[in-house]
Amino acid sequence: MKKLFVITFCTLAVAITIVSCGGSDKPGRSYMPDMSYSVAYETYAPSDERLKASGATYNHQPVKGSIARGDAFPYTIPKSDSGYARAAFVKNPLNIDSINLKEAERLYLINCGICHGAKLDGDGPLYKGGEGPFTAKPIPLVNDEKANNMTDGTMFYSVTYGKGQMGSYASQLNTKQRWEVVAYIKSKQAKKVAPAAATGAPAADTTAAK
Amino acid sequence: MTPSKPIIQRIALVFFTFLVFSIANVNAQDGKALFMSKCATCHAGDMKSNSTGPALGGVRERWNDEGKLHEWIKDNVALTKSGYPMAVEISKFSTTTMDLFPSMPDADITAILDYVDLKFNEVPKVAEGGGGGTGGGNDGQNAVIFGVISLILALIAFILMYVNSNLKKLSDDTEGIERPEPSPFYRNKVYIAIFAVLMFVVGGFFVTKGMIGLNRQQGYEPEQPIFYSHKVHAGINQISCLYCHGNAWESKTAAIPSVNVCMNCHKTIQSYEKGPELFDKNGNKVNGTAEIAKLYEYAGFDPKNPDAWDPSKAKPIEWVKIHNMPDHVYFNHSQHVRVGNVQCQTCHGEINEMDVVKQVSELSMGWCVNCHRETKVNFNYTDSTGNQYYSIYEKFHNDIKSGKMDSVTVKDIGGLECQKCHY
Repeated sequence: MKKLFVITFCTLAVAITIVSCGGSDKPGRSYMPDMSYSVAYETYAPSDERLKASGATYNHQPVKGSIARGDAFPYTIPKSDSGYARAAFVKNPLNIDSINLKEAERLYLINCGICHGAKLDGDGPLYKGGEGPFTAKPIPLVNDEKANNMTDGTMFYSVTYGKGQMGSYASQLNTKQRWEVVAYIKSKQAKKVAPAAATGAPAADTTAAK
Repeated sequence: MTPSKPIIQRIALVFFTFLVFSIANVNAQDGKALFMSKCATCHAGDMKSNSTGPALGGVRERWNDEGKLHEWIKDNVALTKSGYPMAVEISKFSTTTMDLFPSMPDADITAILDYVDLKFNEVPKVAEGGGGGTGGGNDGQNAVIFGVISLILALIAFILMYVNSNLKKLSDDTEGIERPEPSPFYRNKVYIAIFAVLMFVVGGFFVTKGMIGLNRQQGYEPEQPIFYSHKVHAGINQISCLYCHGNAWESKTAAIPSVNVCMNCHKTIQSYEKGPELFDKNGNKVNGTAEIAKLYEYAGFDPKNPDAWDPSKAKPIEWVKIHNMPDHVYFNHSQHVRVGNVQCQTCHGEINEMDVVKQVSELSMGWCVNCHRETKVNFNYTDSTGNQYYSIYEKFHNDIKSGKMDSVTVKDIGGLECQKCHY
């Protein structure tokens, strides 16, 4: 009788252990699942058939025309050649003095620095002077005639809709944040304008001499 | 002095060849520098893939007439207007027209074209194989060795016990002592007792462990629809975690990036060549380029015709969620990442070194509470880097000043309140 008891106990223990482990491919079991899994739809939780049938996914766009709390007034210039030309005349709607450049720098380093470089020299870790995986050369944002002459509005248009190999950043940065980043780049350019003029001239000379 | 003459000649020859080579080298270097500054923004540096402009590899062969090619580079609009067929055809490649370089000297254009040829014909370097997959093998080997050793030891112990009992029997026989026949070991009460206690301890340990492990997923490492390596992206290429998971800064959940965020870079990066070899968790080799092709399928992107891509037609990728909190726990990313200044790696482990993401932490209540007991709060409310949310806690401030406390833990500011997480 005792022996039987011991044997049943052991098999039970082994069975529970195997069931609860589950392996690294499965999330394992839960005790009282109604307390573990939300009845309401949770963000990024696996979607059930009903949700799939309705077409709702994790990357739905907000309703057209909606403005998030704290965001700036929406940008109305459409993505087109004429829009690009028109964008050049748009001024930064934010009060330049009220922009927190530290926050703008943080946004720049996360979203732009990866290609355009932490020093804004167009040589971020993805490009690495042609050695990185990104094959197109990002334009330098300082010490570069093209970038220096680019107006705030054009820069904002390019960040919003993308330009060349650069994609649109409208989904990662809201309108206000995009203007902040533009202001940050312009503030860095203003600081480096003098050395840019100095190094730009001899370079032009050498190409002309050849 | 006659023998010295050939030596001088030879030296002169060597010097001359060296000079010629170095001049050629300088030209190629010039070409590279010129290409990088004038062309690389729109034309891919590997000369093989289309970018904003077409791939340049073999451009001389396609054009035949080098003079016309120079004309195109200097002023492509004029050449297209003149109706030259090649120019008309290329102007249709994209809606973006090429920049004009009217003042670029012919020598520079030749240097650039030389560099294009050189780079196009260069044999690609084979990526060095990573040491992945060997770690698991080592562990397995160790386990086998330990198993064999313990088996041998058990065998020796068994033999010794057998020898011992035989010797005892022999000595009993010679001394003429009569002992009762020993009962078999499975009827021996001492053995049964030891066995029962042992089973109770071992079984109890595993049962308790299994019960505690219910609803915990430490080590959960599911297969994802695309083999996305955090090691390659966040580790080698140094992309900030917040580039893709930016919502961790401002909301409860850390965002799963939508396909357009992937395409920000993968519109241009169409193959996986420069990184280390990839292995899945079973040690099988993974073809990175094929995984990028899977992304294109979701995105509806045709690498041969990048301009025609319409992001609104992309289908979402159904990633498998790994870190799951039970419904009765509230966890907010921004509260930890932005306010508490906690690094992602504190809870998620060294994500930037994982090819396959795995849940490293327990995510149990004890684990949370432990961190809240120990983490020091950065008040610092006089400067902007500090956490101004808690600046009302004057009391702590004064207590620290007067020496009653040396620091404030999360527990002190309500981090152990049940309702913080359960409500």
